[in-house]
Amino acid sequence: MKKFQILTTAVAALAFLAGCGGNEAGDQSPRFAFTQMVNFGDSLSDVGSYAVGAVALQGGGYFSINGAGATGLLNTNWTEFLAAQLQLAKPCAAETGLNTIQAIVNVPPVPAVFHDTGATACLNYAQGGARVTNPVGPGNALLVTAGVPSTYGNALGALTVPVHDQIQNYLTHVSATFSPSALVTVLAGANDVFINIATVEAQIAGGVPAATAIGGAVTAMTTAADQLAADINTNILGKGATHVVVINVPDISVTPSAIASGASGQALTKQLVQAYNDELAAKLTPSASLLYIDSFKAIEDEVANPAQYGLSNVDTAACTSSSSLVCTKATLIAAVTPTPLTNPATAANTYLFADSVHPTPYGYRLLAELVGEQLAIKGWL
Amino acid sequence: MKKQSIAYALVAAAAVCGTGAAQAQVAGDIMVKVGWNKIMPKVKSDDLTAPSLPGSKIDIKSASALFFTATYMITDDISVEALGGLPYKHDIVGAGAVAGVGKIGSVHQISPTVLLQYRFLAPDAPFRPYIGAGPTFAKFYGTKGSAALTAVTNPGGPPTTIGGDTEWGGTVQVGGNFKIDKHWFIDAAVLKTFISTKATLSTGQTTSAKLNPVAVNASIGYTF
Repeated sequence: MKKFQILTTAVAALAFLAGCGGNEAGDQSPRFAFTQMVNFGDSLSDVGSYAVGAVALQGGGYFSINGAGATGLLNTNWTEFLAAQLQLAKPCAAETGLNTIQAIVNVPPVPAVFHDTGATACLNYAQGGARVTNPVGPGNALLVTAGVPSTYGNALGALTVPVHDQIQNYLTHVSATFSPSALVTVLAGANDVFINIATVEAQIAGGVPAATAIGGAVTAMTTAADQLAADINTNILGKGATHVVVINVPDISVTPSAIASGASGQALTKQLVQAYNDELAAKLTPSASLLYIDSFKAIEDEVANPAQYGLSNVDTAACTSSSSLVCTKATLIAAVTPTPLTNPATAANTYLFADSVHPTPYGYRLLAELVGEQLAIKGWL
Repeated sequence: MKKQSIAYALVAAAAVCGTGAAQAQVAGDIMVKVGWNKIMPKVKSDDLTAPSLPGSKIDIKSASALFFTATYMITDDISVEALGGLPYKHDIVGAGAVAGVGKIGSVHQISPTVLLQYRFLAPDAPFRPYIGAGPTFAKFYGTKGSAALTAVTNPGGPPTTIGGDTEWGGTVQVGGNFKIDKHWFIDAAVLKTFISTKATLSTGQTTSAKLNPVAVNASIGYTF
């Protein structure tokens, strides 16, 4: 039957046209071609300001689980995950050094050195312990009181150059203006919370009424937020930057550190963070050049719905060292220590916290995902 | 209205040409058609499974391509039609919490369909409406990811790719054809397909979505 030949030929042709093809990566370049990234902030963005002297001896430098690939991930800090995603060079610390008190730590100090000029300029100015404008943050040697061992944790001598000075260092050393093709990130304020909590506790212990002490701390936090907003408005957006990411302070009342301070400690922490974040959001000049990212809510959701994020533990530190600055695979709690030690500590990727306040590399990756999502919605990635 | 004048022209042509035609669409006839088909997915996506940012959904945009059919008249009223064509390329965009990220990838698909049809009116009528129903086999392949997809699933890591899938679904059809002459005719149809898909990302998450596309097509056919 000729008609059947036509039919079968037609059907065969249809089947033949059934395509085949592999699954490809597609275009991985961001929609906006960034040429550099400049980071300002505290330990959450620090990529090794203190990876010298006593810290380097212990294999540390990141406020997380240290060691390349320690948990099997390619990066440690969120700025590194983001830089790789934006096809930029791995960020490195713009300034390194430690004002170590040798008499206590038994290791000599390392003078502060800048690395922010030259062919391979390092433009991540974020430093652990950094506050908004106050030069003395957690870890600063000036917080050591002779004869009071509880203050000796500060003897390592973190530089804690405040964010205001970090921005000025960039403007002075590198360029008086920001490049329109630079991604500038700012994440700061948590250390002002920690210091103000300590102040409140000391005041209450000294007989000051709680309401007075807390009121003073709230005022101090809104002042810090005003100062950071002014710096961003005037010295970043006002100096030519057109791609500025400002991340608010995460809800640190859900960290193991705050949990350990009890319900009232958590409430105070949350109150101070909220006062700061609300003021920061209100005082930033609305601009198409500005992307404000709410990490406060993000970390609350991670803690409330850990499985959604692939987390199994959101209230225990994965490190045994009190500061994750010197935490490595060798100093993890038994539950996440790999056997043998040469393997990556993949179990640590289900923990949110490395120490009582800082995330694991996976926790930082979650922040990078949030930033990536928001950058994509903004049209920058 | 341009569309209306085209329709009038077709009707007129069918009427004029139809008068001379002796017969069409009777038992044993074979018809082939070629035309243009537009597939418009009506996506309802589940959230991307963990680990993922909450509320990440997808939407799939419309796509058009050349299509072909081969139809065999079993009786004067009942026919069976095989429908296939060139691959469709759909853009995948973010939805839900990631609405606004824009294109996060693309996917090719082919969805050959076999339809059992009933044709109304007399076999030699200048216009014959018909209805049909039958199974659809869909193959999703040739996907492409994007920087945005990698950024929300494995930032800074190796590019995230989207796995293909094959699925069965069901299609219903309403259409009609205008006879031009003894052999040639013009056909238009609307199809609704009920089908879901589940894509697996190279990072392990899956995303399930009801696609349930509506397709509209226009074609020119020849009766043997």
